[in-house]
Amino acid sequence: MCDDTIERKVDITTSVMNKNDRFAAENRKLLSEKGIYTLNLISSPGAGKTTVLESMARFFGSRMAVIEGDVQTRRDAERIEKAGCQAWQIETGGACHLDAHAVNHALDHMDLDPSELELLAIENVGNLICPSGYDLGEDMRIGLLSVPEGDDKILKYPSLFSSINVLIINKMDLIPHLDFDVDRAIEECRSLNPDVQVFTVSARTGEGIEEFCTFVESSYS
Amino acid sequence: MHELSLATDMTRIIGNALGRKVLLDRVNITIGPLSGISPESLRFCFTEVARMAGFGEPELVINLTRAKLICLECNTEYEAKDFYQGCPGCGSISRRILSGREFTVDSVELEEGSD
Repeated sequence: MCDDTIERKVDITTSVMNKNDRFAAENRKLLSEKGIYTLNLISSPGAGKTTVLESMARFFGSRMAVIEGDVQTRRDAERIEKAGCQAWQIETGGACHLDAHAVNHALDHMDLDPSELELLAIENVGNLICPSGYDLGEDMRIGLLSVPEGDDKILKYPSLFSSINVLIINKMDLIPHLDFDVDRAIEECRSLNPDVQVFTVSARTGEGIEEFCTFVESSYS
Repeated sequence: MHELSLATDMTRIIGNALGRKVLLDRVNITIGPLSGISPESLRFCFTEVARMAGFGEPELVINLTRAKLICLECNTEYEAKDFYQGCPGCGSISRRILSGREFTVDSVELEEGSD
């Protein structure tokens, strides 16, 4: 006679993210077969993701394509197209993050075959928490922090900043007006993530952008 | 607020594992401090999602783990639920995270007489 509690207990031991992770693996396989290196760009709303991507679009031109994730509107995709890149907009309709399935669907609609195409940048929905748990199939995860947000944000959002390969500190042109301590932000990010690469940029003035783009380029070539 | 979609994923995983809809007494899960999940939001969403999915009103039992870290100065291994404290051995915040992202459905307990 078995113990009743044991009989009624069913072992499951399954990662809740397993479905997302399967789509992420599929995306990664498809993109690597096409020779496309993929970035996942994550920040809070207004940190300057689209402005950074516009300046990257001017550097990479038709070598880069962009997936824009937003709750609503095609505005960001239009900005990227104007800057010279193919762009696909995902309107999440309220969801606070992109998942690998949404990206998989976007890839179906994009032209991934141009021979010059070598880079796909995915702009996630502006949010420092929810996107951090979702692998999209990217090769490089980039966290963007802008100086008006404050230098204390890294340890407040460890799920994101511990998972990034690259930290971009943006809006450096505002540093003279703010108390943001760049060294503190970098030290705290390295405390979660000792291998993180850091770039200080101003997408508005262009400071640091070429150095960052050259680094991205060297990561796959 | 992605806990609603995570709660839906949890019921999908439970449904697939059991192969049928049965009333549940308890659902046991594990959440790490780097999973980006708010346990209380998840509990709030899961209660509703589980009921609507036909699993009754199971209690959600959450095993909150601590992150495992290794100090890069003195090699001490330690655990933490946030990242504000340095190494208990030498105080350094130079460290590598070994674990803390887990988010699993561990097991479920069926309501008596539901099978």
